[in-house]
Amino acid sequence: MTVSSVRPKSEDLWMTQLKKFLLPAAFLFPAGFFLAAFIAVPMIQAILLGFQRWNGIEPATWVGLRNYENLLQDKVFWQSMGNVVYYTVATTVFQTTIPLLIANILNSGLRGSTAFRFLYFLPVIISLTITGLLWRMIYEPNFGVLNEMLRSLGLRDWTQLWLADRNLVIPCIIAVSIWQSLGFFMMIFFAAMQGIPQDLYESASIDGANVWHRFRFITIPMLRSTMTVVIVLNTIGGIRAFDQIWVMTTGGPNHASETLGTYLYRTAFGALGSSNPHLGYATAIAIVILVFSLIFSIIQIRVGQVNEVEL
Amino acid sequence: MIATDQYRVIQRIRELVTYAFLILLSIVMAFPLLWMVMTSVKEQREVFTSFLPQQLDFSNYERVWHAMDLPNHLGNSLYVAGINVAIVLVTATLAGYAFARFEFPGRDWIFYVFLAAMMIPGQAILIPMFQYLKSLDLLNTHVGLALSMTGGAISFATFLMRAFFRTLPFELGDAGKIDGCSEWAVFWYVYLPLARPGIATVLIFQFMGVWNEFMFSTTFLISPKLKTIQPALYQVIGRYSVDYTALSAGLLLAILPILVVFLLLQKQFIKGLTAGAFKG
Repeated sequence: MTVSSVRPKSEDLWMTQLKKFLLPAAFLFPAGFFLAAFIAVPMIQAILLGFQRWNGIEPATWVGLRNYENLLQDKVFWQSMGNVVYYTVATTVFQTTIPLLIANILNSGLRGSTAFRFLYFLPVIISLTITGLLWRMIYEPNFGVLNEMLRSLGLRDWTQLWLADRNLVIPCIIAVSIWQSLGFFMMIFFAAMQGIPQDLYESASIDGANVWHRFRFITIPMLRSTMTVVIVLNTIGGIRAFDQIWVMTTGGPNHASETLGTYLYRTAFGALGSSNPHLGYATAIAIVILVFSLIFSIIQIRVGQVNEVEL
Repeated sequence: MIATDQYRVIQRIRELVTYAFLILLSIVMAFPLLWMVMTSVKEQREVFTSFLPQQLDFSNYERVWHAMDLPNHLGNSLYVAGINVAIVLVTATLAGYAFARFEFPGRDWIFYVFLAAMMIPGQAILIPMFQYLKSLDLLNTHVGLALSMTGGAISFATFLMRAFFRTLPFELGDAGKIDGCSEWAVFWYVYLPLARPGIATVLIFQFMGVWNEFMFSTTFLISPKLKTIQPALYQVIGRYSVDYTALSAGLLLAILPILVVFLLLQKQFIKGLTAGAFKG
């Protein structure tokens, strides 16, 4: 049979070409529609709104870069920025190292490892709102169980205002964040550790490597990309921090735990609708959050982990 | 012999220290949750006297179930999650399949657009979304809230489903086509049944995401009656400010549905959540 005899007529060729487009288009259309309607449109509006002054009622006025210029002069903005850096650096450091160490301990073939993993994972499934409210009760200075415990142990001097103390509020929130996310990052490290070939450890042991050596010279290098992912996730999480902080302190006392997220929210929707909203200004803060988290998202994709996801 | 004995003793001590550490950590990790459980079954005047309740008192649960209007708020959450998860699953499965199975011009470029959508934080679109829903007459409706959470979720779910379909062998589809199946039949009868584990993962991840969501839920639903469970709990805390027995019982009842799913589907659940590690 010659090639020419099976070549389709030009009309068929055109049909197959069309099919080549139509079929994927049909499969992609529903997702594309929602993406366009509920991400692309609001995103474009956000970029535009960042250049406008608007209280949500009267027509918006174009003010160019004024919102961003005002941000640079805004003390509360800089305070929020400082808090975000503080919170992000601390959570990233603790929420990478502690889960890594615990995953390593649990990966050493210990009996009962499954039970410990289960227990440490429990806070992960609970919402940030609920854990925030729970810890708010625990930290409460007069009736909270933390101060209650200190008092009953005879450590009355150690009792604190916790979330109401401007110097302690961020460390308190960080502690909750570590407690909440420990199991999550531990599981990620644990899963990655399961993928390290066992014979690497065996041959190292024969060469006389102790526990620390094996951790330092096999586990850590083998987990490099996982660690990058965890660090980036923590960084992005820190930049975007909102739920738990809003629920526990709404950014207080006196902006001491204000983050970009809470400041944005307060500016846009007011604390219970008291002040008149500055929607353009709030959106400018949102754009700042967007830019910083994009930078770290791009780093994450660059690391290439995105292509290695397995279900 | 002495050397091995000594080695064994050191091993034993090391093991003990490790266990002591893990148990100590367990206490720290479990304490807040245990305290919540204990408080929820105490009488109110007992709260500050002892850690363990004198006797189990389940009346707090009865008390808050209706006082906090929990059936209504849990139902609202279920409804919003149902709409959202259905949309996300259907659209993302189709799109993920297209990216994994079809060759078409501009495929990679379109896929990058999907990836980019995943990197946009909720805060960036919060304010325009509020106005947008208002203009569509969907503000303060469950459908509006469910729709507002589809965008980023679809892009991430598509990404996961694409990864999943790529693990399935290509030959299956080719064999199906030789047998005369249409492209749709190949998708529907050959690949979709095989994709069940992937779909389950996305389902759990997405359900939990919507169930636990706070920022959009608290902003886009305004009537107290319509609130989903998370903002509803935030709303009642003022009313019960130091009635810790009531609050603990309320929080526990709100955790229960997720906890049940977790206990039933632990493996899928952890997979689904840690798959989120790769979310941008």
